[in-house]
Amino acid sequence: MSYYFTILSPTDTPLFNIAFGTSKGGGDGIARFRFPETAQYMNQFIIHSSLDILEEAQWTNGGMYLKHIDTYPPAAAYISAFLTPSGARFLLLHQPPHLPSSTSTGSGLGSSSLLGSAGSTTRASSSSVAANPTSPQTEEAVRQFMNEVYENYVKTAMSPFYKQGMEIRSPVFRTRVTAAGKKWL
Amino acid sequence: MTSPGDATPVKPPPSFSPGVTRVASPSRYPEEHESAQSIDVQLAESQSASSSTPPLSATISDLPIRSGSPHSRSGRSSTPQLARSSIGSPFDGRADGSEDIRSLIIRSFSPTIAVHASEDTEHLVRNKGFKGGFWELIRPFGETVSGKVVIRDSIGSSRAWEDYGVRFVNFKGIGKSTPSRDSGPLAQMEEVLTKQLDSSEGLMGASVRAKDVLGFPAATPLFKSYLQQLLCVAPAAPHETFGHPVANVIAISSRNPAPLETLRQLYADSTTGDRHLPDWVHQEYLRYYVLVHDEERDDITESTKLYDQMKRHFGLHCHLLRLRSSQCVVTDDDSVQVPQCEWLSPSEHLSGAGEAGTLISNHGRKFANLHSETLVDLGTDGTPYLFDSDATAIRAFIRELVVQSVIPFMENKVAVWNDQVASRRRGISGRFISMSKRWAFGSSSRSGIAGSSGGNSGNYDSTQHFYSPDSPEAVLRKMADFAFMLRDWKLSTSTYEMIRSDFGNDKAWKYHAGAHEMCAVSMLLNPLATSAKIKLDSVDQLFETACYSYLTRCSDVPHALRCLSLAVELLKSRGGSATESAAKWAMRVMDFGLVGSVGQILYTERVAACYASKTPVGAAKWGGRRRKAGMWSTLAADQWLKAGKPTLASACLEEAERLYADVLEADGVFPMPEMQGFVDNLRHAVKVEYLEARGFDARDRSPNEDPLDTEETSEKLDKRSHRRSLIGLPVQLDAGALNTQGPRDPENPNDDFERA
Repeated sequence: MSYYFTILSPTDTPLFNIAFGTSKGGGDGIARFRFPETAQYMNQFIIHSSLDILEEAQWTNGGMYLKHIDTYPPAAAYISAFLTPSGARFLLLHQPPHLPSSTSTGSGLGSSSLLGSAGSTTRASSSSVAANPTSPQTEEAVRQFMNEVYENYVKTAMSPFYKQGMEIRSPVFRTRVTAAGKKWL
Repeated sequence: MTSPGDATPVKPPPSFSPGVTRVASPSRYPEEHESAQSIDVQLAESQSASSSTPPLSATISDLPIRSGSPHSRSGRSSTPQLARSSIGSPFDGRADGSEDIRSLIIRSFSPTIAVHASEDTEHLVRNKGFKGGFWELIRPFGETVSGKVVIRDSIGSSRAWEDYGVRFVNFKGIGKSTPSRDSGPLAQMEEVLTKQLDSSEGLMGASVRAKDVLGFPAATPLFKSYLQQLLCVAPAAPHETFGHPVANVIAISSRNPAPLETLRQLYADSTTGDRHLPDWVHQEYLRYYVLVHDEERDDITESTKLYDQMKRHFGLHCHLLRLRSSQCVVTDDDSVQVPQCEWLSPSEHLSGAGEAGTLISNHGRKFANLHSETLVDLGTDGTPYLFDSDATAIRAFIRELVVQSVIPFMENKVAVWNDQVASRRRGISGRFISMSKRWAFGSSSRSGIAGSSGGNSGNYDSTQHFYSPDSPEAVLRKMADFAFMLRDWKLSTSTYEMIRSDFGNDKAWKYHAGAHEMCAVSMLLNPLATSAKIKLDSVDQLFETACYSYLTRCSDVPHALRCLSLAVELLKSRGGSATESAAKWAMRVMDFGLVGSVGQILYTERVAACYASKTPVGAAKWGGRRRKAGMWSTLAADQWLKAGKPTLASACLEEAERLYADVLEADGVFPMPEMQGFVDNLRHAVKVEYLEARGFDARDRSPNEDPLDTEETSEKLDKRSHRRSLIGLPVQLDAGALNTQGPRDPENPNDDFERA
């Protein structure tokens, strides 16, 4: 399972991006997306396109955690969303790993290193979370993750040096998100 | 020269002339302006087209027409002033594009009429320049019956259709499918696509997409022609009766020395002779007798006498068709061009493409055709001409055939079968019978399958894989198909609904798939069932089952692709939340790998179109799918570029810009850095390839002397702000890498570019 997590401002500007892989079941925490090494922009495209659904879902769902809202079938990418009261949106793209049968030729190290997804080989990391992206366990794990990130986000946003709408550059926040990802996903 | 029904809704705007290639695309015009304009054009076209054909009644009146046919209708009152859209279609308030596709789908399921002509008739017609004989002569005219056709449905209410058509097939060809062909029909379709692409790029590489004219939800002509081929690709098959003849036209000519004997001979040929139809075709179809009178050589009194005799022998289903026997050439006074066949199978497209001459003089006309409707008409250069009187006579003949014989015959059949077979099944006893069959013989049927012998529950022949045509299942299927072709979708839905589980019980998987598919299709076509009424879930379920049966149980890829494409188009035309499942099915098509590489791109475009057609509602602008549509459009642009079609890529890219315009803060500025980078690169690559395709070197061209910029200002298109996909790019990105081939043109004057 590979994850791409984004915090978007109310005006759709990304405040924070991180890509990571699962750490459950012996995963090494490195993201391996299904796109070829040159097509990592697809993550952003998919996240961006799911804003259509998010804008619709945020008025029909009372909670802050909107669960799984959108799917991109060609790449089996699933989007979960979380709303904050200030209007920032947390979006998590999760993608089950490649099946061993599918064509995944390793890759040159193009722009992929940018996201830390050095595509070498596919490794069927099967944990309970990874097995089924829409299962209740996954929903619950994502909820825990989102809540923890939200807590840290609030702390970061209250920093006197942070202004609303600024990109979050705090290394502490980044490590905390990574830790949350390791813990729950 | 086209009949009023032929007036296509897709019209080029007046400014879309070949000289001013790409800039004139008015896709940025306000929507209202566009639609008003296109409707005006359409009206004008249809009026001019209809006014130039003489009124039917004038020419019919001098034919020896029988009177007092029991089913004679007042259908001859053709009122060409009324545009097709105002009367012929019940789907008001939909976008032009989806309306168009819907009508295409409806017309694709039209009754099949076999044509069986005697040797002397074929000889006469061949002298007129139609190599394929009588069938080829009347075939293009059958695709649109002139005037309105009134059809009565099962509850007795009539409705008039302007766009009714029938499909003529050669009698000898029915059921003789050619599996020995080297490549499958889908491969051929792909080949046709490639050819069309190449030819359209070759013709000055102009943008030939009507999409620019109608706004995005309209299908591109390329996709339309693809869909058309797909819909007529299936040969006559046991499991659906759309390809089975509803009627058989038996034709002799006045040259025949022994006319009545020949007619008998032809009749016997068609029923018992070696040419008789396969076993799975129901033998009860209408016979229609035609006497072709040679105006130039033979005496009309003789022919009239013979015709009277025919009427006495064969009853009312006769016609005297008066044709001139000499060949018509373009320079003759009253020559008209034979209309093009709309429904050509891929193999016909390919063979037509082979014989298409490269006549430079015809270039202009060809190009005009390209703009008007299809990319396809590669065969037009060989299109023969006809005398005006002949064309009128053939139209009148086909109208009479359809209105007075075929439609009443089908209505009658539907009523009879509905009464005798369907109602028995619907009754309580029928339910008992089918249920007892299911429970009592369930086990035996299973063992029967295992032994692959008879003893099956019911009438399914599991060795030859068809029902005998008299069995209730086959009759019900035929009745449902008839109702479908008569556009009585309510009846056809209920009938398909009734039989679809039976086929599953008999393990007749193709029948099973077909019934599920058509059940869903007719449910979606039924204009009375509004989107709220029918459950989209159940429709989805039906398509799912049909698709599974076609693909997994029968591995019938063409039918599966047809089924899914119908699902995409019909759900899309439903609007609302159905567009999402339309997009889902389109993605499924790509996922299953049912289409080739060009087909993949077309379906990518379709996904974009599906999402784009979902319009936001309310003041809050909820429920739009602009970002998704934009994404898919961008992906399509990327794929076109990879396929080496920068023109199409640029059109897609422009569409993506238009879609993104609503959701982005600033024009063309994406919030996400990697998206921005990708789109910028794509824009640049498209631009470079586009210019290179015209023999220009874009390397050291600063944005100021961008030829497109120059063109824009010279065109004074102040309604468009600017072309975002092509101007204002940082040229110094990496043009050198993309620009290795082709010698540099030292001068590249701007004026030349406009003509290029």
